[in-house]
Amino acid sequence: MDAFQNLLLGFSVALAPQNLLLAFSGSVLGTLIGVLPGVGPVAGTAMLIPLTFSMGPTGAIIMLTALFYGTQYGGTITSILLNVPGEAASAITCLDGYAMAKQGRAGVALAIAAIGSFVGGTIATIALVLAAGPLTRWALEFGPVEFFALIVLGLSLLTGLAGKSMIKALIMGVVGLLLAMIGMDPVRGLPRFTFGRMELMDGIGFVPVIMGLFGMAEILENAERPFAQVVLARMSSLMPNRQELRASVGPILRGSVIGTALGLVPGMTGSASSFLAYVAERKVSKTPERFGSGMVEGVAGPETANNAHANGALIPLFTLGIPASPTVAVIMGAFMMHGLIPGPFLFKEHPDVAWGVIASFYVGNAILLVLNLPLVGIWVRILQVPYGLLSGIVLGFMVLGAYSVSNSAFDVAVMTIFGVVGYLLRKLDFPLAPAVLTLILGPLMERSLRQALDLSQGSMAIFTESPIAMVLLSAAALILIAPLLRLAWRGRSAPESADAS
Amino acid sequence: MSVQRIHQAAALVLLGIAAFVMWQSWGLEYYTKLGPGPGFFPFWLGVGLAALVAVWLAQVSRPAGRPKEGAFLPERSGLLRIGTILAALGAMAACMDLLGFKLAMFLFLGFLLRIVGRQSWWVTAVVTLLGSVGVYHVFGRYLDVQLPAASIALLARFGL
Repeated sequence: MDAFQNLLLGFSVALAPQNLLLAFSGSVLGTLIGVLPGVGPVAGTAMLIPLTFSMGPTGAIIMLTALFYGTQYGGTITSILLNVPGEAASAITCLDGYAMAKQGRAGVALAIAAIGSFVGGTIATIALVLAAGPLTRWALEFGPVEFFALIVLGLSLLTGLAGKSMIKALIMGVVGLLLAMIGMDPVRGLPRFTFGRMELMDGIGFVPVIMGLFGMAEILENAERPFAQVVLARMSSLMPNRQELRASVGPILRGSVIGTALGLVPGMTGSASSFLAYVAERKVSKTPERFGSGMVEGVAGPETANNAHANGALIPLFTLGIPASPTVAVIMGAFMMHGLIPGPFLFKEHPDVAWGVIASFYVGNAILLVLNLPLVGIWVRILQVPYGLLSGIVLGFMVLGAYSVSNSAFDVAVMTIFGVVGYLLRKLDFPLAPAVLTLILGPLMERSLRQALDLSQGSMAIFTESPIAMVLLSAAALILIAPLLRLAWRGRSAPESADAS
Repeated sequence: MSVQRIHQAAALVLLGIAAFVMWQSWGLEYYTKLGPGPGFFPFWLGVGLAALVAVWLAQVSRPAGRPKEGAFLPERSGLLRIGTILAALGAMAACMDLLGFKLAMFLFLGFLLRIVGRQSWWVTAVVTLLGSVGVYHVFGRYLDVQLPAASIALLARFGL
């Protein structure tokens, strides 16, 4: 009942004309970012944060979260029409989505993806509403000791973002934490690693760093080859027939559950959800051999899962203050720029903001469903804009975004430097996502560690005195040790199997 | 230079950064009566980075862990395009406060669209005008983001 009343309060905020307009703008911009090659959701969200400076915190976060799940819709469009995923979570959709497009069923694939995304996003938001009460009540008991342990656990789960090499992911995690050390020390107020530059006193801006590492690095990578023009698949009627709709019901429900559940786990990416949903559909299908040839289930399952994941990933952010993915970390950064700390206190101190934003997820998802089907033609035309023109415009926006954060050309230089760093790190196969998360969580982690040690007058024993912290830290240790144990086990079993053979 | 050598060089650069961080943090207060000081966290992060990079260096130096050989950097034309974009960005960062947003962005976009992107004159003109003068007014008037005016008196007199 409590949740229901809170949600009603949220709808009164989300349905205010100004917030409706912001949800609409965020959805459109998000879809655009998802559609555009070379601007992923992380850089895109960071790039548009300066647009929200003149808004109140509720409107700003409504726009940025709408932008976030809008990118999921946009990514689908290029996967289906071009066989090029706009973002990683839509990569698996290429298999059946593009096959459907080649058969002239691109419209149906896009419509099913939009319906699935709407249902997935809505179910994940219901989960958020239900989880918000109990999780925040639990988290309100947290002091700095428990909060530090929680952040350590959150960061340990980020080993899921490791990609091919765990060592490289850990290196990037430490690099992010080191970048977070630049600026004033959070407890004593002494400058660290500022090299006498006033611009670094407040720390290195996460917006220019993220735009550089993700957006600019992508543009530099694309500039290696001459800019190419895209070739589009044929479009057809948008309306799926009854048989296609019936075939999509099961995958949409399964995708919603998979995406919401995996979205809760920090470090689990949207692509993991969509891939798992695809595998699940193949497993339950009577004709798994036909997947890849244009099966509507191969679009409905993954597309639902990735949108449910995007909304589900906001649950740990809203309830515990832990971002579950790089884009959510950027949204957390935006919260902080607007003077709010996401987590249990947000519900207590700013219920209108917390519930207003949650209610706006329903509104945003509905807007995307209504908006995107009729607008597919426009997105398709945008895709045909030459990349030489597009990259110039995107770079112009990046300069604007970096400058506007603190009205300083120094941030444009920071973005450029991190663009080069990001480009080289990509070449060296380093995953960049762990750096983003630790860059944003680093100051919170250090502050809670030092506050905890201040309480105990420097004694580390304080971490063993809190049962919650002990459980969280033990879980983190297990997660970090697990890959090493797995490696050792593989090493032991390899000679045994060689002996057996 | 082989890809393996490039990876090893990158590891050495990171080791250098780790050593620099440890050295710098040593100059900050490490521990106080109340607990860790400003140097505590960065020092241990430096140690952690050095340890992780040492493991990576060992990995890429073993024959089994050798990275795949292939071209690390793009061909000459690609490098030229990347260099041009970076030079334009560097010039933009250096000149924005001097020339003002409108003129700097006009030149920046014009260069990227016409020279790098090979767009027609009229597309370049329309986009650069909208992206410089248009954006300046929209951001200033509707989004409360004040973009810089030229600090050179002559340019400022022309409203730039």
